Amino acid sequence: MTTTPDRNAADAGSSRFITRARKLGLVMLAAGLCLGPLAALAQTQIYDAKTRKWVNYDKKKARQYYARNNQLPEAFRRQVVTFRTAEKPGTIIIDGNQHFLYLVQPGGQAIRYGIGVGREGFGWAGIVRVGRMAEWPTWTPPAEMVARDPNAAKWAAGMPGGPDNPLGARALYLYEGDADTIYRIHGTVEPWTIGLDVSSGCIRMNNDDVTDLHSRVEVGAKVIVLMQGAALYKGV
Amino acid sequence: MIEGMLRSKGFVLAAAALTVIGGCQSQPKPEEMARTSLQTAPADLQLICANAAAGTAKVDSSKVLPTSSRQLDATSYSVDLDAGGRKFNCVVDASGSVKSVQPAA
Repeated sequence: MTTTPDRNAADAGSSRFITRARKLGLVMLAAGLCLGPLAALAQTQIYDAKTRKWVNYDKKKARQYYARNNQLPEAFRRQVVTFRTAEKPGTIIIDGNQHFLYLVQPGGQAIRYGIGVGREGFGWAGIVRVGRMAEWPTWTPPAEMVARDPNAAKWAAGMPGGPDNPLGARALYLYEGDADTIYRIHGTVEPWTIGLDVSSGCIRMNNDDVTDLHSRVEVGAKVIVLMQGAALYKGV
Repeated sequence: MIEGMLRSKGFVLAAAALTVIGGCQSQPKPEEMARTSLQTAPADLQLICANAAAGTAKVDSSKVLPTSSRQLDATSYSVDLDAGGRKFNCVVDASGSVKSVQPAA
């Protein structure tokens, strides 16, 4: 199990304490950002082959679809697609507007995964890198969530990684230079939210997909995040 | 009368054929059966524009980021870019051929 940065901080001396507190604050902010409430940025639509019409795909529809089919709509499932780019294989490209994450492969191809992204006002764009990765990461709820939610309160010191952990099976921590952006690519316990604007800035994937991505990506990999109307730009 | 029936049948067949063709044309591939109300350019085309703008702006491509995009017509897209703080506009077609890169007005 990999712990959050605050737990790795040295604990001797006041300056170290301040550093630790800052890191703790960042981790809590990140946890709060990643697991924010649900809202719509741009309406997702899926094609209904029976009626031959595009239909809105919101949280309710997504949940119904997943309950009925036990999987996501085909467009959001992992698949190899044509992808013309000068970026080198291993680069991650996130199309936040269309809810796809591409992992560039040789030969003009990419592996495409469905993702959930930031809700309105929490989208961001930029060029960052994978700073570190973790298997079954610890989740530390932010202080305000601890204060209002008894379920979160019992994990105030950090929820160990596992199948009920909101960060899911894997986390890729996104860095700008050597600084943690506090944004992550991570798994989820709510796989039906893939394809929606659900988080407060983190990129969420279903656990199988984030595990697959984690197995293919190296620390240091370039990550390009495209998001029209983003509130924040990183690394450019 | 027979001529009229044949004409009528021909019309029906033609209409049926058009319906089938129309149906085939409007049905997206399974992997394309999702979209959002924001009709942005495909990600690879946005990055092709970013690469082209890096050359025009003479800045490192890691400092060029697409900020918005839209479909112009059936085969081309317009992409707005930030190249190290300078704004550019690029037009690219669906095959990945860059038609123009210009400083934004």
